[in-house]
This record gives sequence, structure tokens and C-alpha cells, in this order.
Amino acid sequence: MAGISWNYVFKFIITGDAAVGKSSLLVRLTDQRFLANPDPTLGVEFGSKLLTIPEENKVIKLQCWDTAGTESFRSITRSYYRGAAGCLLVYDVTSRKSFVNARSWLADVREHADPHLTCILVGNKVDLCDSESSSDRRQVPMEEAELFAKEEGLLFVESSAKSGENVEKAFEDAARDILSKIRRGVFDDDRVSSPGVKLSKPSNVALDPGAGSKPSCCNS
Amino acid sequence: MEFLSQTYVALRGPTGAPQTAAEIVGKLIDRLSPATLLADRRAAVLALKGLSRDHKQDVGERALPGLLQVLYNDAEVDPDIGKATLETLTMLCDVEEERDLGFKNTDAILENEQALHALMALLADNNFYTRFATLQFLSILLQNRRQRVQSYFLTAPSGSRSIIAVLEDKREIIRNEAIAVVKSLITQSADIQKVLAFEGAFEKLFNMVTQEGGVDGGAVTEEALICLDSFLRFNSSNQTYFRETGLPSSLLSLLLFPPNMSMQELGPQEFALQFWDDQKLANASAVVGIIGLLVGSKGAQEQPAYIRCLIEMALASNAPTVLKTKALTSLPSNLNFPMSDFILTPYMPVPETNGEEWDRLEAATALDALVELALHGEYNGMDAHKRLSGGLMMRAAAVSVFENFVRKEERKQAFIQRLVPHVGSELLPNPLIQSLVMIPNSDTPLDPVMVASTHFASLLFSHLLRNSPRCKSLARSIKPQPATGSDTGNFFVPADTTAPQAPIPAETLAEDDEPPQTLCQIMTENLSLSLLARSRANNSDREAREWDRLIVAYLCLLSQWLWEEPGAVRDFLDAGGLGILVEPVNYASEGDLVVPGLCLFLLGICYEFNREPGEITRNTTYPILNRLGVDTLIGRMSRLREDERFKAVSPEISVLPFNTTPVSHLQKPEEQEGEIWFDWAFVDFWKSTYYTVQRGLSTEPDQLASASSGQTTELTMLVSSLREVIRTQSGEIESLNAQLKQTLSSNDQLATLQKDIAKLTIELQESEEKRKETDREHEDLLVLVDELSGKHAQDKARMREAGLDVSEDEGEDGDDDE
Ligand SMILES: Nc1nc2c(ncn2[C@@H]2O[C@H](COP(=O)(O)OP(=O)(O)O)[C@@H](O)[C@H]2O)c(=O)[nH]1
Ligand SMILES: [Mg+2]
Repeated sequence: MAGISWNYVFKFIITGDAAVGKSSLLVRLTDQRFLANPDPTLGVEFGSKLLTIPEENKVIKLQCWDTAGTESFRSITRSYYRGAAGCLLVYDVTSRKSFVNARSWLADVREHADPHLTCILVGNKVDLCDSESSSDRRQVPMEEAELFAKEEGLLFVESSAKSGENVEKAFEDAARDILSKIRRGVFDDDRVSSPGVKLSKPSNVALDPGAGSKPSCCNS
Repeated sequence: MEFLSQTYVALRGPTGAPQTAAEIVGKLIDRLSPATLLADRRAAVLALKGLSRDHKQDVGERALPGLLQVLYNDAEVDPDIGKATLETLTMLCDVEEERDLGFKNTDAILENEQALHALMALLADNNFYTRFATLQFLSILLQNRRQRVQSYFLTAPSGSRSIIAVLEDKREIIRNEAIAVVKSLITQSADIQKVLAFEGAFEKLFNMVTQEGGVDGGAVTEEALICLDSFLRFNSSNQTYFRETGLPSSLLSLLLFPPNMSMQELGPQEFALQFWDDQKLANASAVVGIIGLLVGSKGAQEQPAYIRCLIEMALASNAPTVLKTKALTSLPSNLNFPMSDFILTPYMPVPETNGEEWDRLEAATALDALVELALHGEYNGMDAHKRLSGGLMMRAAAVSVFENFVRKEERKQAFIQRLVPHVGSELLPNPLIQSLVMIPNSDTPLDPVMVASTHFASLLFSHLLRNSPRCKSLARSIKPQPATGSDTGNFFVPADTTAPQAPIPAETLAEDDEPPQTLCQIMTENLSLSLLARSRANNSDREAREWDRLIVAYLCLLSQWLWEEPGAVRDFLDAGGLGILVEPVNYASEGDLVVPGLCLFLLGICYEFNREPGEITRNTTYPILNRLGVDTLIGRMSRLREDERFKAVSPEISVLPFNTTPVSHLQKPEEQEGEIWFDWAFVDFWKSTYYTVQRGLSTEPDQLASASSGQTTELTMLVSSLREVIRTQSGEIESLNAQLKQTLSSNDQLATLQKDIAKLTIELQESEEKRKETDREHEDLLVLVDELSGKHAQDKARMREAGLDVSEDEGEDGDDDE
């Protein structure tokens, strides 16, 4: 607990149909592991991770909640939307249905989340795709998903919790986007900071002077 | 009240004839309809409220839908009508007086989610009465039908936000009610626990605690802490998140324990010495519970500060006894703390200062202080003579911590090694051994303080020996410096006085010519002495019970020591153990069977493990057993498990109420006298070994049987199943080896074949080449032959032309044939 410091805390949620790999993405992010048969009762539903965004010179503490994906729990999931700064909307590239459902998940997000929430569409299980081979299980072409993301103003990435490919990237891209919103003063404009973004306590880190006060370029 | 009576008058009708309640309710619900004026509706609700106390059934049956409509339509607009409606509904759901009606009404209200959702929306209303009445109504709904409310809550659009908001309410009454609702709402629902934590429940609850003044706060603090506990107890996601929040270290601060202290620094006095009252005790106890939860859960990586806080609270503070007990029981079972290196300073109250002045004692290791606490109780055994349950429980908890700590074999051995004489090093008297070998004085009434000390010493010592052949054997060479009576040789001395050397009694120095006795010998003598004293006729019941307890302590320890340790059996028998054990068996009355039962158990162990040459052999014991009647013996031995004192023991409970004193119900359980007979470890040991002992008793002396190996049936079964496993596995290994060899050799073959093929291919190619060449040559040849025969024919023709005689050759014949 001691000695670790960060500039911001971002609350993230991971949402999408059941079995698309939400829990697996979270475990991959926090533990660098993959479980072929995750125990659904184990409740790996919260995890946190420090991300460094070098070009912004910022350390971010990501706090991620995995929302239960079943229909009956959607209303709880809505409570999470409201409090989040970032959202991973996950579908399974080998399941058309999960991609179709992503639209209705997105509708929920739009309805309940903070308008400045950053959402990234994540096509998971990309390790099961192999366009060269006849056993390619892909049901959602990348171009189609990319287009959808563009139309809806979402970030987009294809990932694999199994191989680890693009998992950190998904979180990092979203975090970068939030940082840039902060930089552009999106949150100040409304005079309400996003509920999912918290500045770290001053005791934890020397605040970056650029974040709050005026740039101090002409001091000498 | 004025307008109430007006309503009644209005309802009574022109004739003034009295109407039934049902009739009145019927009229009132007409007035609830939105078509009437708000003021009329309000009056109708108030009238219904008045009626519902005495006519719950009539109001419930007919007015519920109307009341709910008012709740949906008017409550937000008009706080008065809202309050009255909520209070009426609350009354209708009350199950205290008319249980069935209350549940029936609750079920009707919760038929669908609408009412619950409306309540969640109403919570957003900042009006005091609306909020308060909503919370009270929620509270009763939760109390009656929790699961239904929970499932509706999950579908409420902004349920979690509303609930969290009321936790922040500045008005104390509302906040208190809110905590009660939250506590009930999160019961057994991991999803609600999680979502409320996400919404900031931890911070809100903590703010509440801090605003109330931390552990010095009132009942709200306690409630908030208990609520926090239920958010965490069975929810690993929430535990992980809680660790993230930085709040855990605030838990330490609440107890005034600095979270970032180095291990070398002594614990601060402001933590160790505090003023305590009942409320603060309850608050601190809740905090300790949460700390225990954090250090005990799987994957806990708390800094040692948390463990240290618990240890210092238990061993070096003036915290109330129950809190010390809780701190001890909250330590994780795989205790990983440098108990034998860590230094702390216990405290003693200065006499006659009413707990307001304290002496700091000499620094000691946590391990020594722990043992001291178990042996003598708090503050050098200041209150040990009262033998209150609370004190005994604390000492039992200390024993459990010791048991956990020495679970590692190397720690057991290290401890025992310190007790064994080594050449060249002088052995300091050890408090544990001294308490263990105190000689009971049979001339005066037995000192209960001494009995308890010896008993706890026997429990501690048995944890060192059980399951460790090495320690059992090492313990045989312990030669304690004898101590007399209840001279316990206080371990702790105030820091400002010099520690006196533990006095070695004069008698022992005088009769120096006798070699010092071993621990086993002394215990055997003490056992004999106690059995004799017990059998004296003039004992009071209480006195007899004291002796029984002491005897039980000796017998339990010896049983665990001698089990599977023929050397120790030899020592015991040589010290006269056989006669000691047979005596009480012989005269066992029909009454108390605990002591004779245990004597028999130990006798059985002695018979079973009497495997070393000596004066008393299995052969000499056998006829004695037969004379006593093996079946009778077994019968008596097994009846131990029917005894309440044995049956009542569980992993958590070893201190029992001392039943012979009249129990005052005004006293808290921990302030009543208690006693201890067995601990769970022994009960467990007895249950797992008893069968082997019983079977051993009926075997012939020369029979090795189970005794030869000294294995329990379980172990035998385990061994044979392991043998089986090994057999099948080695079979498998063999066949795998064979397969491997085969595969290897077929690999070889394959390689040669491939080589062959390659060679053959090359050869084939070569011969192909050759063949082609030959073919070509052949063709050339044919062409040549053709040419030649052409030439030949020409030549012949020319020769013929030249008139030369030319032979007819076959070729031409052939040509003719064609
Ligand atoms: N091949 C493959 N399988 C995955 C991947 N991510 C998750 N899975 C599997 O998909 C199943 C569902 O994953 P889970 O994380 O429980 O999904 P959730 O219901 O969205 O939390 C599990 O059997 C995972 O092992 C992935 O990237 N590749
Ligand atoms: Mg999951």
C-alpha cells in the first residue's frame, strides 16, 4: 500500500453478454493469467491496476468492476454505468449474437451513463480466428465492428484474454481518452467532474503542476 | 384531532347510527380517489391511519390499493399525506401483534415492484418526515420479506444512489434508520453489497464513524462498523476493493495504533493505555473484527502492522478482557509473525488506583507474553482466583494462538530445545514447565489458581508434543527445577525494579545427592498424589471437582505424550504408572466416569505402546487387564464421550460455565465463573485414537497387530491405499517404459527405413538414369543395327550387282515372312 502513487483514479466497468470473456479480461489485466475454466462462483468481480501513460507522464489507478452479464442483472449494471469513467463493452468475435447484443448494451450505457464516459468496443477471443485456415471461427468481421464503433463514436480494439493480446491496450486506450478529456477541460466545463474520475489524494503523489495550476514555463 | 372527529361525525351518517368498521373503511376509500380534493384525501388517509390500529384486517383488505395510489401520486407533492400514508402502511405490515395479517399485507404490497420503486424515488425527497417514514416502512418490508425487497431493489432505476444518499443525511435519526435499512438490504446479497460499495458505501460509513468521534462514538458508530463488516465478510470483491481504498489503515488509526510504525519501535502508550467503557468496547470490538477479517482472508497481504496491532492489544494493553480475547481469536490460523523475536511491554495496574495508573513492565517477546497470559491470566494473574469465564476464554484463546504458532514442526522443536539441558549452558527455569510441575498441596484445600495454571500449562505443552515424535522424545530428557506449592515465580516484573533470580527452593539444594527427576516422573508422582487426595472422603463437592480437573489435565497430557512413544511409556511405567492407573479403575464408582475413563484410555495406550524391554511388560500387564475384564474396561472407557464436559467442547468452545454455582441472569456470561476440562485438540485426538486403543486392549501380549506399527486404522488404510497406488503406478511406469522402448526402437526402425528409402530412391534414380541411358544406347544400337542392316542389304545388293555370290541369310527369310 505504501510507496505507490498515482495521479488519477479511474473507475471502469466491463460489460457485455455472458461468456464473452469479461472476467477473463479482468483477470488477465490484474494477474496476467488466463483460466480456461473460470469458476463462476469465485466472483473475480473487482480488480485494480496501475497504468503508466508515458507521453502524458501520468500514473493512473484503474479500478475495474466486472458487471454480471445476464439479462436479469441489467438493472444493477445500470447503477455502475452512472459511476464509471470508462467502459469496456465486450463482445465475442466468434459469436454474432454477442455483437448484435452489444448494440443494446450500448443503448443502456447511453441512457444511464455520464455523457462523457469513454467507451471502448472490445472484440474478444481473437485467438480463435485464423483467416488462413478453414477452422476460422470468426463470425464478426473486424471491418464491420470497426465501422460500428466509428459510427457510434467508440474506441475499438480486438483482443484475446487467452493470449493477452491487446488486453492492456484496451484499458490504456480508454484511459488515454479520458486523460485527453481532462486535458481539454471537458469535465471542468460542466462544473461536475465525472463521478468515475478522482484526483489522487495530495498525500499520495506530488500533483503534476500542469494538472491544476498554470504552466510554470517562465519561472526562471 | 379536531378534524379527525369531524371525519368520524361526517361518516356516521345523518341518523347517527353506529356503523361497522368495514363500512367506514368503505366510505373512506372512496375519498382516496384522485377525483376528490387533496385535503379530503389527506383527511381520509388520516382516518384510515386511526382505524388501522384496531381494524387492521378491514383496512388492509380494502384500503391497500387506494393507499398505494396515494403513495404513488400524492406523497411527493404533499409531505403530510405522504407521511400519513407511509405510517399507515407501516402499521398494516406490522407483524408484532397480528402476525398473519402483517405478512398478508406485506405480500399484497410487494405483489409487484411498483411500491418498492416508488419508495426508492421518495427517498430522494429531502423532507424529514417523508424520508424518515419511507425508511421505516422499508425497514419493516425488509424485515418481513427481505428477498423480495432485494430483488425489486435490483431493478429500481436509482435505488443504490438513493440509499447511499440517505447514509449521508446530516440528521442523526435518519442516518440511524438508514444504516438499519442498509444492513438488512445487503444481507446475503453479494450483488447489492457490490453495487453499494461501488457507489461509495465504505466511505460514507467511515465518514459517519469519524464524525461520531471514532471508537469513542455512540451506538451509531457501532452500527456503522457492523454494517461495514457485513459488506466485507463474505464478499471477496468488496474485500479487494476495500483494500484499495486506503481505509484499512484508518481502522488502525481508529484504535490509535500508528499504521506506519517500524517493528523496532515500541508500541505507543496512547494505544496501550486507554479509557474504556461499554460502548467504546463494542465499537473497538467491531473494528477488531474487521481487521481480523482482512488479515484472515485468503490472499491477504496486509502489512505486519495489522497483526501487530492485534497482538499488542492482546498482550500489552489495558483493553478489556473480551477485547483481548477477540484480538487473539482474530489472528490468522497460519500466523506468520515473528512471535519469538518481537518485543513488547506489558502493563500492570498500580494497586489501589482503580485502573487509572499503570506500570510498564519489562520488555518481553510476544511469545513469552503469550505463554504468560495463558498460564496466569492478565496482569500476573491478578484476578485469576475469580476464574471468570471471560478470563478463562482469553487464556484459552492464547493457547489457540500458541497452538497455531507451533503448528510448524521447527517451531515446536525450537521451543522444546530451550527446555532440554545442554552441556555447558545453564537452564533458566521456564514458566511453562514450572506451572506444569507445581506440586499440588494435598494438606490444604486445593488452590484453584494453581489448578488453572497447571491445566493451561498442560494444554500448551500438549500442543508441543502432539504429532511430533521428535518432540515427544526430546521432552523425556526435560528435568525441571522443582517448584513448590503455588509459587508460580512471577514472570513479569515492573521495569524499574531489578528482576530477581527465580529462587531455587532450599530443599532441593539440600537433598542434592538424588539425581533430579524427569518431567515424566514428576508428572506421574503428581498424578498419583492427586488421585489419592481425590479419594479422601472429606472432600467437598467443589474440592473434589478441583482435584478431578487437575487429574484430567495430567491424564490428557500423558495420553498424548505416550501415544506412539514407547520410550515415554517405559518412563511412565518405571515411575509406577501402572499401579496408579489401575487403582481408580478398580474402585470406579458408578458416578463420575471421566477420571476412570481417562485412566483406562491411558492404560490402553500404555499397553499398546509398551514395546521396549523393561520390568513391566505386556506379558505382566495382560493378566491384570483380564482380571479387570477387558469388556468392562472398554465399556467404561468409551463412556467418556457421553459426558457433557466432553461433548460440549468444539473448536471454538472449551470454557464451560461452572454449573455448580447458581447462575445470576443479571451477569454477563463472561463475568460468571467458568471452568475448563478438555480442549478440542484432545477431543479430536481421543476420537481418532480411541478405536485403536480399544482394539489393542483385547490383543494378546505377543501380538504385534496394530500395535507393532502403532498405526491408527486410518493410517493403516492410508498406507495400504498408498501401497495400492504405488503398485498400480509402478505397473504403469513399467508398461510406459516398455511402450517407450518400443516407440524408441520403432523410431530407430523408422529412421533406418527412411534411410533405406532414401538410399533406394537414389538407387532408383540411378537405375532409372541407367535404364534411360541403356534405353538410349539400345535405341542407338537399334539405329546402328538398322543402319548396318541397311548397309548390309545395300552391300549385298551391290555384291549381287557385282555378280558375287551372296548367301541367303535368315534376316531375309524373316523379311519374307512379314
Ligand atoms: N479462446 C478464448 N477463450 C476465452 C477468451 N476469453 C474468455 N474465454 C473463455 O470464454 C469463457 C467465458 O469467459 P468468462 O471470462 O467467464 O466470460 P464472462 O461471462 O463474460 O465473464 C471461459 O471458458 C473462458 O475461458 C479468449 O480470449 N480466448
Ligand atoms: Mg464473468
